[in-house]
Amino acid sequence: MARRVLSLILAQLNMNFAISHSRYYYLKKRQRLWEPVLIALAIGSLAATLGVGIYKAASYYYSTSAAIGQGAVTLTLGILLAQVLVAILGFVLVIAVFYFSNDLGILIPLPLRPAEVLAGKFAVILANEYVGLAVFVIPVLVAYGVHAGVSGVPYVLSSVLVFLALPVVPLIIAAVPAILLMRVAGLSRRKDTLAMIGGFLFVAVVVLFQFLVQTKAPGIGEEAEFLAKMLAGANSLVDVVGARFPPSIWATRALAGAGTLQGLYSLVLFLGAGVLAFVALLVIGDRVFYQGVLGGFEAGARRGARPTGKVQEAARYPSRSPVASLALVEMKLFTRTPVYVLNGFTGFVMFPVMFVAMFFAKRDPQIARLWDAFLSAPGLAAVGALVIGAYFFVLAAMSSIPFTAFSREGKRHIWIQRALPASGRTVALGKAVAAEIMIVLGAIPGVAVLEYVVRLPLASVATGIVLGIISSFTLCISGVLFDMWRPMLNWTDPQKAVKSNLNVVAGMLIGLAVIAVLGGAASLFVKFGLPAWSVVAGIGGVLIAILAAEMKLLGALADRMWGALEG
Amino acid sequence: MSEVSLLRLEGVSKTYRGATKPAVDNLSLEVRAGEIFGFLGPNGAGKTTTIKMVVGLLRPDRGTIVANGHDVAVDPVAAKADTGYVPDNPDLYDRLTGIEYLNLVADVFGVPQAERKRRIGELLGMFELGPAVGDIIQSYSHGMKQKLALTGALLHDPAVFILDEPMVGLDPRASRLFKDMMRSHCEKGHTVFFSTHILEVAERLCDRVGIINRGRLIACGTVEELRERRKQADETLEDIFLELTEPGEAK
Repeated sequence: MARRVLSLILAQLNMNFAISHSRYYYLKKRQRLWEPVLIALAIGSLAATLGVGIYKAASYYYSTSAAIGQGAVTLTLGILLAQVLVAILGFVLVIAVFYFSNDLGILIPLPLRPAEVLAGKFAVILANEYVGLAVFVIPVLVAYGVHAGVSGVPYVLSSVLVFLALPVVPLIIAAVPAILLMRVAGLSRRKDTLAMIGGFLFVAVVVLFQFLVQTKAPGIGEEAEFLAKMLAGANSLVDVVGARFPPSIWATRALAGAGTLQGLYSLVLFLGAGVLAFVALLVIGDRVFYQGVLGGFEAGARRGARPTGKVQEAARYPSRSPVASLALVEMKLFTRTPVYVLNGFTGFVMFPVMFVAMFFAKRDPQIARLWDAFLSAPGLAAVGALVIGAYFFVLAAMSSIPFTAFSREGKRHIWIQRALPASGRTVALGKAVAAEIMIVLGAIPGVAVLEYVVRLPLASVATGIVLGIISSFTLCISGVLFDMWRPMLNWTDPQKAVKSNLNVVAGMLIGLAVIAVLGGAASLFVKFGLPAWSVVAGIGGVLIAILAAEMKLLGALADRMWGALEG
Repeated sequence: MSEVSLLRLEGVSKTYRGATKPAVDNLSLEVRAGEIFGFLGPNGAGKTTTIKMVVGLLRPDRGTIVANGHDVAVDPVAAKADTGYVPDNPDLYDRLTGIEYLNLVADVFGVPQAERKRRIGELLGMFELGPAVGDIIQSYSHGMKQKLALTGALLHDPAVFILDEPMVGLDPRASRLFKDMMRSHCEKGHTVFFSTHILEVAERLCDRVGIINRGRLIACGTVEELRERRKQADETLEDIFLELTEPGEAK
């Protein structure tokens, strides 16, 4: 059994990281050799920049918290934050990998137990999590190790073990409800809708949980307020922060006490929790995993077996322009694919929940101070319009919708639009319009909650929405063009098109850079005494100029790129 | 059959990145109005590559392709507007319904509302797909997807109809209907260009055939002409094909 599971895991990892595929194209056929070098350089420099930033932040956090004998809380917060992220993103990954993988039709007929297939799929998710976590967690572990003066070898060994076990429990916390949800959803004809609703509920719950935990942690410079809690002894804050999720306390103690009996005991507890959770997942999975998958297959088949006769009469034949038709189809395809919705719309749900949580957390001194500062800012109405405009933009950058517009077609479907008599400009515009409509609709709940909390004047909200529509459309156009230039068409599972796509990272970076530049410029102008509304008008003008330039670029480049796209 | 050429390939070559040998090598052929042209060749001979270049999915390294008077490289949109294409494995958008897919195709090809309603009704009726057209494509069988792709490709009544292995997945009744439809399509002065492995179909249906091997066109003409050239009056198309494409024989 162990051998076949190992073989399955290796095959799954091979496909996930495209090992044989890369070996064939890069080493054997020696095609596009610059590509892996460029990708490695880009990822390496991005990871190094992020890593150094996190290391510095962790070091600073350590120095302030260690001054009051609470240094280990740096580890707790780092670990807890990483685990919350794993749980939030893990739910989507679990549903995508467990239930929407294209290889399920191959794996299920094999003489494997459901738990074995589940173990193989779980290994894939775990491997993906390690890649992301390495950038976020290792700098924290290094920062603590360097500054806390821990003993070398035991700390390194404990760090490796804690790092390896770190995503297991949160992933299983995400996986168990996902499996149970899909078991129930599999019985329904609305399987995809149920999966999406369940996914968003889970995200909302985890965001609220994270928020509650976060309000227990000291911000930099806020340590005095926590003095009372610390009287119990050194690193007692670890218990306060980690009380809602004990594994983070065990991991902290395993690292802070590396080489001691207390550390070893905590390490055993932490690893034991991971093993127990994994066994529980396999036991539950063995009973219900296939039922959820097969239920999905049956739901699809039932649709096909519907009584015949009336459908054709009900068929409609609306005539639309090519751009409108392409945009409509794009939206239908996106919103009917749970993996895309769970990835692309997470921000649409997460931010409103955060705004609600902030509203209820006003009693917290840190948050209250932030609110006071915001609400009493000079020219709040103008600042509010800018914030709303920026909100649309951030959603567009985070959503992955424009930056995967062509990648989502994949090798399987790209031929459909390529064979149609539509120019590259028409196709790109259709995709950009679709992305824009989804982002604007997704931004409305957040704006509504924000308006309820802040009570901005109507003119401010309206200006903000107009700014937001323009700003997000600039990103939609650039995202679609970027993805048209280098689409990731080689994927077997749709989740890869959005999850393992570097274009999404590029989108986030472009979004961050633009927000930093425009936001910095706006605050500088306000500081220099420029009227706040004139800054809004200025930003609006810049955005319109960018949009006009992008439309020119679209006209100049899209047809050429569309022609060069071979699929 | 007319002398007007609806599809013309001149000196077309394509070598994939990293490959040492061309997939298609200096290919020239012409398909006339009213003609059904069968494109034959063993696996990996270059049939699909040629077809993909004709419909604009791949760019040739050299040569010219003209579809209904439009150079595919110079005016791809006009060329595609006069072309209908069905790939060998029509992977359609699984999460659209059949009618949603057909409406997309009709919108982009600019088929007017009344015309599309008539054509869709006609074609779906012919392929007996009408009752399923409101269901999502995911629930279709392979044959149903094939029929839907054929319907989409014929909606605008294309002058040049290109098909890659069209018979795969069709049941005998649909296959027969489809062959009749190909003939009636050509009778309107259009042309059908299709690749196939089913040599009996090619022999019975095609006005002319072209045989491609290792990227090069090694024979082209009516089956009768090919027999005459080989001076073997009793040879079937299968015999001719097997002898011409025998492994190890560079023609």
